[in-house]
Amino acid sequence: MALQPLKQNPRVFFLGLVVLAILLPWIPMGASSNYILRILTTAVLYMILALGLNIVPGFTGLLDLGYVGFYGIGAYTSGLLAIHYDLSLWVILPLAALNGALWGTLLGAPTLRLTGDYFAIVTFGFSELVVLVLRNELWLTRGPMGLPGISPPSVFGHPLTRDWEFFYLILLLLMIVLLVVTRLQDSRMGRSWFAIREDEIAAQCCGINLIKYKVTAFAISASIGAMGGAFYAKWFKFIHPDMFKFWESILILCLIVFGGMGSIAGTMLGALILIPLSEVLRAVLPQGLINARYLIYGLVLVLMMRWRPEGLIPFERAQAKKARRAQERLKT
Amino acid sequence: MKPILKVTKLSKSFGGLSALREISLEATSGQIVGIIGPNGAGKTTLFNCFTSLYYPTSGQIEFQDRSIVPEVSEAKMKLVKRCAVLFFILGLTWLPLFWSFFLPHTFFKVELVLLGVFILSIRFLLIRGLVRFQIWAWGLMFVFLMSDLCFAAWWLTHPSSSGYLIGTGISLGYVACPWGTVAGPFSIYLIFQLLLRKIRQLYGFRLGPDAICDLGIARTFQNIRLFFNLSVLDNIKIGFHVQMHSGLWGAIFRTKAQREEENLTETEALKCLRLVGLEDRAFDLAGALAYGEQRRLEIARALASKPGLLLLDEPAAGMNAQESSQLIRLILKIREKGVTVLIIEHDMKVMMNLADRIYVLDYGVLIAKGTPDEIRANPKVIEAYLGGGAVHAEA
Repeated sequence: MALQPLKQNPRVFFLGLVVLAILLPWIPMGASSNYILRILTTAVLYMILALGLNIVPGFTGLLDLGYVGFYGIGAYTSGLLAIHYDLSLWVILPLAALNGALWGTLLGAPTLRLTGDYFAIVTFGFSELVVLVLRNELWLTRGPMGLPGISPPSVFGHPLTRDWEFFYLILLLLMIVLLVVTRLQDSRMGRSWFAIREDEIAAQCCGINLIKYKVTAFAISASIGAMGGAFYAKWFKFIHPDMFKFWESILILCLIVFGGMGSIAGTMLGALILIPLSEVLRAVLPQGLINARYLIYGLVLVLMMRWRPEGLIPFERAQAKKARRAQERLKT
Repeated sequence: MKPILKVTKLSKSFGGLSALREISLEATSGQIVGIIGPNGAGKTTLFNCFTSLYYPTSGQIEFQDRSIVPEVSEAKMKLVKRCAVLFFILGLTWLPLFWSFFLPHTFFKVELVLLGVFILSIRFLLIRGLVRFQIWAWGLMFVFLMSDLCFAAWWLTHPSSSGYLIGTGISLGYVACPWGTVAGPFSIYLIFQLLLRKIRQLYGFRLGPDAICDLGIARTFQNIRLFFNLSVLDNIKIGFHVQMHSGLWGAIFRTKAQREEENLTETEALKCLRLVGLEDRAFDLAGALAYGEQRRLEIARALASKPGLLLLDEPAAGMNAQESSQLIRLILKIREKGVTVLIIEHDMKVMMNLADRIYVLDYGVLIAKGTPDEIRANPKVIEAYLGGGAVHAEA
């Protein structure tokens, strides 16, 4: 098989994907190339969001329905900082991430003692709360009028306007997030998260402080979400409370479930398939059925649950693969 | 020899049912101590008390001359309960004050009500934590008290309703007060958390299971509790948790210290696996191991935290004769490393071969103790196991 050497060496495979991604804007894609680039940028943004969310339900095993709240917090932090203080993107991104982490800690510290469904309900409430605050606090967020006129990000004084520039920017962000997430996964902290997910009591008896690690997971997840939001605000240049509704949380959760809870590659693959799918369906479906395209999402997920309930790349398989790689590393 | 574990008059009751009644036992350093008894005698409850999964109703547990169960006097408990209720009422009165801030321009805001309900429900949760003497509740109460105080102070210094509105019709309190009072003390809370271990030692707050493991008591479970979807090696590495120190910073930036620690852990983990004879299964998923191997893996994981005391809950359950004799050899090897072993077992052959001392439990009461030979001859034990008739039949 031609693919065999690629499969054996994930690094080469990964590098190939990176090269492909970098070349993407220069491959002629017909007249609507900008349109396709924009869809891809959205897909990569959702990959980042899915990677962030994955830390809580995927790694730590807690159902988080309020992720979009942090996304919204990040977007508004970015938007407000850009409008009022005209800060550069490179200042805004860490500030938004910090703000997200702060709110994640504030929400997580008292509520992560709840178990299972109760925690999910609290996070759901939180996301609703964020939308309500964004809509009603006119003095801060301009409420339903939204925040228009966010300045575009600039790199070395050169403001980004073209689609391929944004594509590269989000690609860079994805690389950073991916690096952080994979490193965390292989560390003492990541193992503690997995332990909590697998068996809380056994994890405790191995010396893992449940609250500490759950709150850290929640805060890191929130800060990645907020970073995604910060990029989104700078990219779209307009934000509105309705963009951060509960539906978004569910969509991101779907990406993870579809790709495989807890596996990083699966999460990214899920986002890469499901997000452009909506646009593909828009083109493929007949005029009258365009608004029914979300039904297809449902159908895809139902079929998924029937044939591959653990997602495209299940967590266990990723773990087994990781172990095999570790074995080879030790041999040499 | 000094006892490494000393239990005095330990009782545990679940509602009306008393699972343990005034149990006293000792384990000398380097010994293998057995606990036997019919099903439902309270053996596992005893282990759960040792590892803080349950909090004993009364009695003392001392590990290496340190009390695991801090004494809380009746009077202190009553005081705490009273404080907790007072604290909740304070929150109730606080809430209308909070709401009245916004009365000038809006009468009713959904998010404020939700926030209020959220705050009150946390306070309610706190009461439970306070009464149960849990450290986090004290930390959080501190935050709330600070915010109460700041809020009250602000309220008192700005008595007129027009005072709330500054400049653009935005009340200063809206931004500064809830935000500042929550965020400021919260940072203090975090520092508080850092000092937690010290504070626990000083004031004798209850230790959680994780702190117990850090002290040096490790355990296995009656029904296997491995991390089945992780590799065998990762299972052991998680066991090494209390031996490691790297955190978020080290993980993200792969600092030199973190890399060295990881490498060290890996070699140590492989050594640990060699001890239980699983080194060639190190890279399989734990769920893929055979039953006996999973048992041994659980023991290896417990050993990884370098405990002084190892609690084994029915390690030989479901093993055949060959496997259990292998297990006996393993446990003897563990003892040679200087680890004291406390073991619950139904398999008498294993028990009589291993134990230096045996305690017999029946219906939560200690009915006999002594060397294996004494236990074998004790009529009370035979009665508990085989019923009253057996003793008479033998006699």
